[in-house]
Amino acid sequence: MKSELSGRETAGWAAGVDHGGPVLSVRDVHREYRMGGDVVRALRGVSLDVAQADYVAVVGPSGCGKSTLLNLLGAIDRPTAGIVRIRGRDVSTMRDREATQFRLRNVGLVFQRFYLMPTLSARENIELPMAEAGAGKTERTARARELLAYVGLAERERHRPSQLSGGEQQRVAVARALANRPALLLADEPTGELDAATGAEIVGLFSRLNADGATIVVVTHDEELARSARRVVHMRDGKVVA
Amino acid sequence: MTAGVLLAALVLQTPAPAAIQPPTRHVTATETRQIAIDERLAADANLRVGDTVVLSAHPGGAPGDTVVIAAITQRGTDPSDVARDEYKVRLHLSELQELSGSGDRVDRFAVLTSGGAERDTALDRINAAAFGFRAYRSADVAVGTSKTFQVVSRFHRAIAGITVVASAIFLLCILLLRVDQRRHDIAALRLMGVSRRSVVWSVVVEAALISVIGSGLGTIVGWTASLLINWHYRGLYRTALTFALVTPGVVTLAVALAVVLGVTAGYVAALRLVTTPPLALLGR
Amino acid sequence: MTGALAIASLRRHPIRTFLATLGVAIAAALLLDMVMLATGMQSSFRRFLLMQGFQIRISPKGTLPFDSEATIGDASAITRALTANRDVVAVSPVLGAQVHIVQRGHARAATVFALGIDGLVEGDYELTAGAHVSAPDHIVVNDVMQRATGARVGDTLDVAAGLDPQLREYTGLRRLVVVGTGRFYYTAVNQPVMAVPLATLQAMGGSDRADRVSLFMVKVRDRVEPEVVARWINETLPRVTTISTTAALHEVDSRLGYFRQLSLILGAVSLVVGFLLVTTLVTVSVQDRVGEIAVLRAIGVSRGHVVQQIIIESLMLTVAGAVSGVVIGLITARFLDAILSTLPGLPAAFHFFVFRSSAGWETVALLVGSGLLAAIYPSWRASSLPVAATLRGEAVA
Repeated sequence: MKSELSGRETAGWAAGVDHGGPVLSVRDVHREYRMGGDVVRALRGVSLDVAQADYVAVVGPSGCGKSTLLNLLGAIDRPTAGIVRIRGRDVSTMRDREATQFRLRNVGLVFQRFYLMPTLSARENIELPMAEAGAGKTERTARARELLAYVGLAERERHRPSQLSGGEQQRVAVARALANRPALLLADEPTGELDAATGAEIVGLFSRLNADGATIVVVTHDEELARSARRVVHMRDGKVVA
Repeated sequence: MTAGVLLAALVLQTPAPAAIQPPTRHVTATETRQIAIDERLAADANLRVGDTVVLSAHPGGAPGDTVVIAAITQRGTDPSDVARDEYKVRLHLSELQELSGSGDRVDRFAVLTSGGAERDTALDRINAAAFGFRAYRSADVAVGTSKTFQVVSRFHRAIAGITVVASAIFLLCILLLRVDQRRHDIAALRLMGVSRRSVVWSVVVEAALISVIGSGLGTIVGWTASLLINWHYRGLYRTALTFALVTPGVVTLAVALAVVLGVTAGYVAALRLVTTPPLALLGR
Repeated sequence: MTGALAIASLRRHPIRTFLATLGVAIAAALLLDMVMLATGMQSSFRRFLLMQGFQIRISPKGTLPFDSEATIGDASAITRALTANRDVVAVSPVLGAQVHIVQRGHARAATVFALGIDGLVEGDYELTAGAHVSAPDHIVVNDVMQRATGARVGDTLDVAAGLDPQLREYTGLRRLVVVGTGRFYYTAVNQPVMAVPLATLQAMGGSDRADRVSLFMVKVRDRVEPEVVARWINETLPRVTTISTTAALHEVDSRLGYFRQLSLILGAVSLVVGFLLVTTLVTVSVQDRVGEIAVLRAIGVSRGHVVQQIIIESLMLTVAGAVSGVVIGLITARFLDAILSTLPGLPAAFHFFVFRSSAGWETVALLVGSGLLAAIYPSWRASSLPVAATLRGEAVA
C-alpha cells in the first residue's frame, strides 16, 4: 500500500501534537437508560486512560457495556454520571451541537456495519466529514484520494458501496474516520461482519495506523484484533474487571 | 287557451323601497287592488300583509297604483333564480297590463292539455296557425333553460375527474410506501416458507381494508362537507335549494374506485416485493 | 454535499419519487387553475368592459345592461345632458332588440339580435371584413348570423322589427344591406347578431322604440376618475342606473361568486393534498434511513445540515411537481374554460380562466411554502433522533 505522503502524514498524526496528558480520560462513568419499564445499568463506574498513540482493545461478553462505553468515548452519548475527557476537554456535559462539532474534528468512528452512504461513491463517502467541516472541494478531493491510497483502494474511488466487498467497505469507512485528522479513532466491532481473511486485513490496517501514530480504541469479540492491540481491557456487567 | 297569471318581475335594486312608495291618498279596502310579494322583498323592505304601497312601472316616482299587500309568497326552488338578486311581485294580469301600458299583451301562455297525443296535436295546431309566436312542450323549455346547469354540471364533472386522478395517484403512492415498509416482514415470511401467493393475498386484503375504511371515513367527511355547503349557500342566496347531495350512487362510486385503486396498488407493490429475493429485501 | 445527499435519496426510490412528483403536479395543476379562476373572471371582465375604453354604463333603473327588455326613454335628451359634461369624451347609445330576417323559401323568419348603434362611435364590434355602418340601411353581421341566414357582404335582406299575429304581418319591415362582417364583443358566442344604425332600429320599432335605448356607454376624459362622473350621472339622471367599471365588477363578482368560492375551496384542497403527499413521502424516507441519519450525526454532521437535507428533498419534490403542474394546469385550464364558455348568454370575449405570469408564480410560491411546511415534521424527526439509541437499535436489527 503505497502513498505519496508518509503514512504518518496521511493518517494525520503529525509530531508535536501533544497537550501533555492522556488523549482520553474516563473517570467513574455510569450510564443508565430505560428499556420499557426497566432501568438498565449499562455502565457502573468505568475508569480508563488512553495515552497518545495507544492502542486499546475493550473485550467482554455480549451485553457487558462495551458499545455503550464506546458511545460515551465518542461523545455520541452522555454519561449518567462521571467524566469523559478527550484532549483535556470534558465531553460528558457538552450539549449536542458542541458535541457534534467536537466529534467531527476530534473523533473518528468506525462501525461494525460500515454505514457508508449507499448513494455516494467511495471518495464521496470519505469527503463527507470534510465537507461538513468546511473544507474546500479541491482539498477534500486530494485528501480523500490520499486516504484511499493509504487503505489500498485508490482504483476504487468511483465505486458505490454496493460495488465493494465487505472488507473494502470497511476500509473506506476507516478512511472516512481519518478524514479530519482526529485525535482519537474509535471502532465498534470493525471485523464483526467480515470473514476471517478479510478481518485479518482490517486487523493489519489498524496495526499500521497505530504504528503511524494513531490513538485507537476498539471494542471487539475478535481475538486476533484484541491480540494486535497494545493493551486489552476486559469488561463484564458494566465494569472493567481487568 | 287558458291564460295564466302573469308573473311580473319588477326588478328593483336591493334594497329598493324607492319604487314602492307610501300611498298618496288614503283608500278604502274595497277600492284597493291587491298584490302578493315574495318573502325576500318583505324582509328587505320591512313589509307585511295589509301594508299599502304604490306600484309603478316607471322609476323616479311617477304616479302609480296604490295597492295592498294581500300575501307574502315563498320563493320557489328554481336554480335559475338563485344568483339573481330580484324581487317578485304577483298581481292580476289585467292590472299589470294597465299599469305598464302594454295593452292586451302577454309574454307567454301556459296551456294545459290531457297530455300524450292530445298535447302533440295541440302543439302542431298552434304552430301551424302561429305567426309571431311559437308553442313548445314544457319539458323542452325546461331543457333549454337548464342549459346553464348542464354546463355547470359538466364543469363539476371535469373538476371531479381531475381530483379523482390526483386522489388515485395519492392512494397509489401511499399504498406503495406502506407495502414497501413491510419488506422486512415479507422477507421473513418468505424465508419461513410462506408462499408468494399467500403473501400477496395478505397484502391485497390489507390494502382493500385500508381502502374501505378510508373511503368510509371519506364518505363521512363528504357528507359533513355537503351539510356545510348547503348551509352556506342557502344562507348566501336565501334559497331552499339543495346545492350538494351525497347519494348512494356517489358513495358507491367513491368506495368502488377507492377499493379498485387500493387493491391494484397493493397487488402491484406486493408482486414487486415477492419477486425480489428475500435476502435482497433484507439488504444482504 | 447536502444537496447531493438529498438528490441521491430521491433517486433511490425512483417509482416512489415519480408518483409523488406526479401527485404534486396534479395538485399544482388544480391549484393553478383555481388561482386563474379566482382572478381570471375579474380580470377578463375588466378587460372586456374596458375593451373600447368606455368606463361607465347606463342602463334602465334597477337592471344591468341587457339584463331585461326594459329600455330608457328620452335618449336624445340624455345624450345631450351627458355630452354637456366636459369630462365626458364620448357617449355611445345602444338599443338591443330581436329582429326577424324574412327570406323567401323559408317557412319561418330567422330571428337575430340587432344592436342599434351610433355609427360615429365605435364600441360594439371589431370589423373583420367589408365596411362599417355608415348609412341608414347598412348593417354589419357576425359569422353566426351569416351561417344562419346565408347572407354575405353585399346582400340585401328584408328585416322586420316585429310580428303582428292578428294581422299575420311583419311590422317595421326594411330592406337593409350587409356592408361588413364583424366580431361582436358583448354578445354571446352562438348568438346571431347584426349592427344597424340606432335611428333605423328605433324607426323600425315604431312608437314603442321611439327615442329609446337599452344602454349608454360613456367614455371619460383621461385622468378623470370615472367614479366622479358616475356619481354626477346618478344625481343628474335619477331614472337610470349608472354602473362604473368598479360597480360592474362587483356585481359580476357577486353573480359569479360561486366560482370564486369554489376556486378558493379547491385551491385549498390542492394545497393540502400536495402537502400531505410530500410530508408522507419524506417522513417515510426518513424512517427508512434512521440508521444512516444516526451515522451522519455520529460522524459529526450537524442537526442543521440533516434538517437542510430533508428540506431540500421536500423542496425538490414540490418544485419539480409545481413546474410540471403549471404546464398541466395551462392545458386543463383551456379545457375547463372551453366548458364554461358555453354558458348561455356569456359574451364571447369573456373568459373564466385567464393566465397571467403572476398566477404561475403564485402557484409555485404557494407550493414551495407547502413543501417547506411538509418538511417540518420529518426534519424534526430526523434531527431529534437519539444517536446512540438509534445506533444500538440498528445494531440489534
